[in-house]
Amino acid sequence: MAAALLLGGCATSSVTLLADDGSPNSGALAVIEEDGSQTVLNQPMTAGKLTSGETKVRPVKELKPAYQQLVGSLPAAPAHFTLIFLQGTTEVTPASRPVLDLIRREVANRPGAAIEVVGHTDTVGSEEDNDRLSEQRAAQVVRVLVGEGFSEDLLFATGRGEREPKVKTGDNVANEANRRVEVVVR
Amino acid sequence: MARKITLISLATSLLLASPAVAEIGRVKSSVGPVQIQRGTTQLPVKPGLKLEQGDYIVTGKNGRLGIAFVDDTRFAVGPNSKLKLSKFGYDRTRQTGEFVTEVDRGSLGVVSGKIAKSKQDAMKVRTPTSMLGVRGTKFIVDIR
Repeated sequence: MAAALLLGGCATSSVTLLADDGSPNSGALAVIEEDGSQTVLNQPMTAGKLTSGETKVRPVKELKPAYQQLVGSLPAAPAHFTLIFLQGTTEVTPASRPVLDLIRREVANRPGAAIEVVGHTDTVGSEEDNDRLSEQRAAQVVRVLVGEGFSEDLLFATGRGEREPKVKTGDNVANEANRRVEVVVR
Repeated sequence: MARKITLISLATSLLLASPAVAEIGRVKSSVGPVQIQRGTTQLPVKPGLKLEQGDYIVTGKNGRLGIAFVDDTRFAVGPNSKLKLSKFGYDRTRQTGEFVTEVDRGSLGVVSGKIAKSKQDAMKVRTPTSMLGVRGTKFIVDIR
């Protein structure tokens, strides 16, 4: 009896699936056993015991306080900004000046911030050329941001090429909206 | 109940870990006792500390750590936890990669990022008894 009580009080390891931020739904997570068998959790607020052998999934009514505190201590989601430049220059458009201030504020509000500058191109030219072009563009913008007083230690330049167009187009289509630079503050 | 790792096996696995130089993420918050070890070096834990593949994280009673990774993954490490950022490879241009975290004890809150989306089970969390394949989601692992 005493042993049973003791065991009952000793919680086992578990995984709890939560709803995605700003969504009633969750993604999915597979518990993969040593023998390769899988149990997939795909409903928010469900939990699976992590013990050797088969995983049993059960619903979770309410997150316990320790879990709520854990979720509450997750770092903030990344913030995204778009900078537009005067054609063929590294000079931000007057309309983009306030965006620089927003980025500055975002960085100040995030201890341990990192800024990723991500260049995008339209679909004119080859994929390889656009990778190179977008990275060069991002590197130029990194220098602009350093000139604006941002610490170099926070900055990283990435070229995404033509993979993530703002406006979907066919191949080899010039599009100003797609030739852009995004700034991600983490 | 918690699995114990002897100092010897810890030292051995540290020796085997390949020295990566790329930054994989940064410490965003740190509360209470938190240790981060790289090789044989204890790093000064504070917001902005750049993390690398292979880093060990240990939190004590009331210790907490927040991490933002370069692929948008976010971690909240709870008290009395011990984990290793075993593997992290990420192509920023293609937004693909591989991410393996080993959680030996304690609690870890996760919001997955670009790596988990890049390929099925590209992001994994290894626990003493199981392997979790993360398919783009938010979850808590609690290892007793």
